[in-house]
Amino acid sequence: MWSSGWSRGCAAPVVELIPADVRHRLRDLTLATRRAIGDRGLGAHRSASRGAGLEFAQYRPYERGDEPRQIDWKLYGRSDRFFVREAERESPVAAWVLLDTSGSMGQADAARPDRSRLDAGRALAACIVELALMQGDRFALVTLGEAMRVVPPHGGARARDRLRLELAGLSAGGVLPDERALAPVWGRIGQRDLVVVVSDFFDAGTLDLAVRLSAAGREVLAIQILTVEERNFPFDGGYRFRDPETGEELLGDGAALRAEFVARFGAAQVALHAGLDAAGIRRGELVLDQPLDTPLRTLFG
Amino acid sequence: MMLAAPLGLVALLGWAVPLAVHLARRTETRPTDFAALKWLRQKPRPRHRPRFDERPLLAVRLVLIALIALWLARPMLPGSADRSPVTAFAPGTVPGTGEGRRLWLAPGFPPVEQAVAGGGPVDSLIRQLDADLPAGVALTVVVPERLAGVDAERPKLSRAVTWRVVPGGPVVRPAMAAVPELVVRYAPERAGQLRWWRAVGAAWGRPVAVAGTEVPVPAGARHLVWLAGGPLPAAVRDWVAGGGTVLVPVDSPANGAVVWRDALGAPLAEAAKLGRGRIVRLTRDLTPAAMPELLEADFPAELRAVLAPLPAPSVVMARDYAPLTGGPASDEPVRDLRLPLALGIALLWLIERWLATARSRGVSP
Repeated sequence: MWSSGWSRGCAAPVVELIPADVRHRLRDLTLATRRAIGDRGLGAHRSASRGAGLEFAQYRPYERGDEPRQIDWKLYGRSDRFFVREAERESPVAAWVLLDTSGSMGQADAARPDRSRLDAGRALAACIVELALMQGDRFALVTLGEAMRVVPPHGGARARDRLRLELAGLSAGGVLPDERALAPVWGRIGQRDLVVVVSDFFDAGTLDLAVRLSAAGREVLAIQILTVEERNFPFDGGYRFRDPETGEELLGDGAALRAEFVARFGAAQVALHAGLDAAGIRRGELVLDQPLDTPLRTLFG
Repeated sequence: MMLAAPLGLVALLGWAVPLAVHLARRTETRPTDFAALKWLRQKPRPRHRPRFDERPLLAVRLVLIALIALWLARPMLPGSADRSPVTAFAPGTVPGTGEGRRLWLAPGFPPVEQAVAGGGPVDSLIRQLDADLPAGVALTVVVPERLAGVDAERPKLSRAVTWRVVPGGPVVRPAMAAVPELVVRYAPERAGQLRWWRAVGAAWGRPVAVAGTEVPVPAGARHLVWLAGGPLPAAVRDWVAGGGTVLVPVDSPANGAVVWRDALGAPLAEAAKLGRGRIVRLTRDLTPAAMPELLEADFPAELRAVLAPLPAPSVVMARDYAPLTGGPASDEPVRDLRLPLALGIALLWLIERWLATARSRGVSP
């Protein structure tokens, strides 16, 4: 299973968030945005037009009309010819991962206390980043929690590693940031960008956020992470249920609460799905006992 | 089954402990993080029924405590003894056919199939056998014609015993006690008493060796009459300690217990041990006035019984030694059940540990 290959908060320089089998299956997936296809690039989002940029593409002989500042003067010194240094133009698409790190994401199943919802979330984020890197797209990360962090869009392996370190250091806590705190982020998400919201969607604010982004023309995908206990409610006997975000507590007998909880929770899920569908947001769902790439296959397979 | 210490059953109060342990965990609430709390609705707790976790383990623990309480109460099982008739053969007889169990009348009462070296006192063994057997068990005792080493009294048993006498038994010649030979040592002033001792010797038919106190006692002599006042000289005391018997006059130091009384019960002689020998002291002057018995015809015989007592008879004809009935009945022999109980407790404890430490168990005491 996917939790075996990594641990949280590890001091190693590169933390392996994605288990090997999932990484292997990632090759079959592509990050496809409905709006970017056929715009400028070919195939995936990699731009075929070359020009100024960071990623080196090739040298070509100087032609008339090229700007003199594009000439590689060091190469001229060695070869006595003019060469123009060309770079790949950056991808027009950036994949934004909006990862919920509020307190509810820290919940884990009693059967597997080492595998919390946040662990699955950051592994999913790492998978999306890996997918974007494989197809040359840029990627960015916003964490929605007590400490809101924004990693601006970048491409390349080094940016991927930086982002991975950022993911490894995350911890769950607090509640969703309010609208004002989020406002600066909205401006940075480009018109064509792909936004993946990874959350449990228990807080109504998460749905609002996704709906607003979608309404603003971004392509939004939703990945909901549920624990096994929320799906099955396997409690039997006396329990003191505690909400990690509000601290609210409820005493109850598991067996007596089960039927009503399953019904109400199912209804809430149906309502959530209806809201997402109405906003044109595609959704994937991961329960913690499923393989990690289940929602990725739903969305990108 | 009887309980020798019924108060031990108070330990059954210990049942409360495992019951509480298995019940308490039911009522406690485990704190659990649950983010989907808003879809949970508070419900009144269902009516509390006393429910127990891990019932097999609880049952084993309850049975274990019950057994321990029973062990403390010391259960006894009466009526478990063998009620078949018993035939006991005294060593020296040939075990023939006999009804029921056939035993040797020997310490431990081994069955006749085992070889037995020698017996103990027959009367004591018969009494023990009678006490060991439950009431109503027929007992047959097979004894040889002559029995040695028995009490002077016929045993009194709680049951009527079939007393079978077969030929055999120890051949013991009656001990013919030798007539003592007197040696007399006298101080000169008591030469007048010598005639009594010569008369005694004549009555016994033995010569009397008379000499002064300064003459040492011959090595082979067994009986000495010391006619001198005061304490005995060291040489004579050594001789007595070596196994001799000395008769001292009344003016010697008093000692010992009365061994001879006259017809009125007044003491005539007392005796004390010294080493392996005896010192017999006459309590009166050896004159007819002080001691009228001196003139009696049986004086020599009485004196001989004091100086050289005859051995007690130790062989009896078995037909005269048949046990009497009317003795006290002993209690019914009971079986103590504590050992099998202890084994059961140990076994159950192992099972309890095995259940309690099973790998499949969750985190619980």
